[in-house]
Amino acid sequence: MDFSEAAARISRKFVKDGTAADPVKIEGKLKRLVQEFGVQLSEAERSVITELSREYNIPLPGAAPAGGKGGGTEEKKIAAMTPGEWVTLEGKVVALSAPASAAIGQSGIIADESGAIRFVAWAKANAPVMNEGSWYRIESAVVDEYKGVANLKIHSGTKISEIGEDRALIPTPVAIKDLHLGIGGIRAKVVQEWDASHERMLQSGLLGDETGSIKFVIWKEPGREKLAVNGVYSIFYAQVDEFNGRLSLNLNGATILPEEADIPVSGGDAAYTGALVHIAPGSGIIKRCPVEGCNRALSRQNYCPVHEIQPKFVYDLRIKGWLDDGTKTHSILLQREAVEALTGISLAKAQEIAENNPLGMDEVFIQMRDAVLGRYVTCKGREIDNRLLVNSCEQKKFDSSEHVRLLNKAGGAA
Amino acid sequence: MSTPSRDMPRREGSFEREPARRVFAGELRECRYQFKDGEDEKSPTFVLLPTGERCNRIFLVGTLTEKTRQGEQNMFYRGRVVDPTGTFFIMAGSYQPEAMQQLARIETPAFVAVVGKPSLYQKPDGAVMVSVRVESITTVDKDTRDIWVLDTAERTLDRIAAAKAGTTKDAATAKEQYPTVDTAVFHRMASDALAQIKM
Repeated sequence: MDFSEAAARISRKFVKDGTAADPVKIEGKLKRLVQEFGVQLSEAERSVITELSREYNIPLPGAAPAGGKGGGTEEKKIAAMTPGEWVTLEGKVVALSAPASAAIGQSGIIADESGAIRFVAWAKANAPVMNEGSWYRIESAVVDEYKGVANLKIHSGTKISEIGEDRALIPTPVAIKDLHLGIGGIRAKVVQEWDASHERMLQSGLLGDETGSIKFVIWKEPGREKLAVNGVYSIFYAQVDEFNGRLSLNLNGATILPEEADIPVSGGDAAYTGALVHIAPGSGIIKRCPVEGCNRALSRQNYCPVHEIQPKFVYDLRIKGWLDDGTKTHSILLQREAVEALTGISLAKAQEIAENNPLGMDEVFIQMRDAVLGRYVTCKGREIDNRLLVNSCEQKKFDSSEHVRLLNKAGGAA
Repeated sequence: MSTPSRDMPRREGSFEREPARRVFAGELRECRYQFKDGEDEKSPTFVLLPTGERCNRIFLVGTLTEKTRQGEQNMFYRGRVVDPTGTFFIMAGSYQPEAMQQLARIETPAFVAVVGKPSLYQKPDGAVMVSVRVESITTVDKDTRDIWVLDTAERTLDRIAAAKAGTTKDAATAKEQYPTVDTAVFHRMASDALAQIKM
């Protein structure tokens, strides 16, 4: 097969752009692609053109739009990128994470003023190592999708150059309800800390702002610290994942800045009035695992699902039940303070009952149940996953103004 | 970011507990229609109230005036709970051991709060009776009873209003099943119940 014609054609294109391209060298490349690798000539031609364009750092011949704008890839703001695009961007490496596989040279998060995106530099790409906190111009990278999240791929054709200056980059937090899969930043309050469900987990819980709440998790990693409950933080470049159909924030790799000012949090003001129609087993006095950060409820045999037998448990009070207003039944969970206030039985009293009564902990359950079941109460707290976590709970009193209102209602409509 | 903004997926409550309806004894007594919602063996059974609402579970507060133990092998308790409009017939058997123990301990008379499931029975003489299978029963104070009367009166009035509007499916079924029932009766009942409470 004769490659000289194709080689000359390619060479002419580059000469036109003012670059000297050796037709012999081009022919050699084409020959190699076609004969050794079985590439079709047209495809070989295209790849040689691409390669040379990159070599001479000129826009791809013919690919440049009429407006003469950029190269084959468009310069884009991160927020505007969609999977499938070739892009050029300028951004700051705001986080680096350990490569998940040997095929990955470097991975992390790159941000500009419009947003942030995860990037992966393939080991084969031989890309220069980027430093956290520095600005780079990345040309001809590919945006694709990994696990439903847009991802920037740096391959052998991507050109990376460091931008010397440190530009100002002030990320803007978004409202929790506007978070979506990818990378996100919020300003939120730690409204809850949950029992760790995995031994590799450092902390999990709930972050809230005015618009909603989202689960967060921090995995154990050197240098990672727990967030303070009720602390307010600005969190940037956190990974927004989906788990069981719900979004959650992975804070490993995120930039976390404690804030001074308190912020209002939604969902904290749910209030329901109704009758307590059920007190579930597991209410009353319970034993909790004493292992730091565990706090799980123990079985009767003092067995923790993770830390096994724990004879030095700690006592706690809780009530799990259903509050029914006649049209809807709300699952409620009362923690110790609320239980003490509603039942009039303190933790110390409950412990005394449990330890000195033949029925033990069951006696506490019975006494508490008899004190609250079937009563009208008003519970206030935070609603999460259709369960009301009660901060305050009080028994409803007979209200004679309500009586009058109903007498009028009954009389008026008759 | 580049992924299109999507609605925040929220897991709906996988389980919705049937709410406990508030109904006076005088209305519950008039129930004649019972149905299953769904083909499944485990589908809940509902009793249709004449005011046009289905109930699988009810919450009632009244005075336990009488309780009797019955049966030898399959022991169970029966009781009568009185409200301003009539009497609820309650029962707790060996399938409700906790409720049975609770009921066994209560000395009559006492104000009690009952959560239970209503169902229709045909007596040997052909008469239909509504009985409430107790899930839980606790003694309460008079305040709770009075709050319940207000609560139940309001719910009853709201049901009557909804039945008049006739917008719900249950309201339409109630018209078919209880053609002779005049909801004005229940309105008067609610009104009388309210009047019985001391100002």
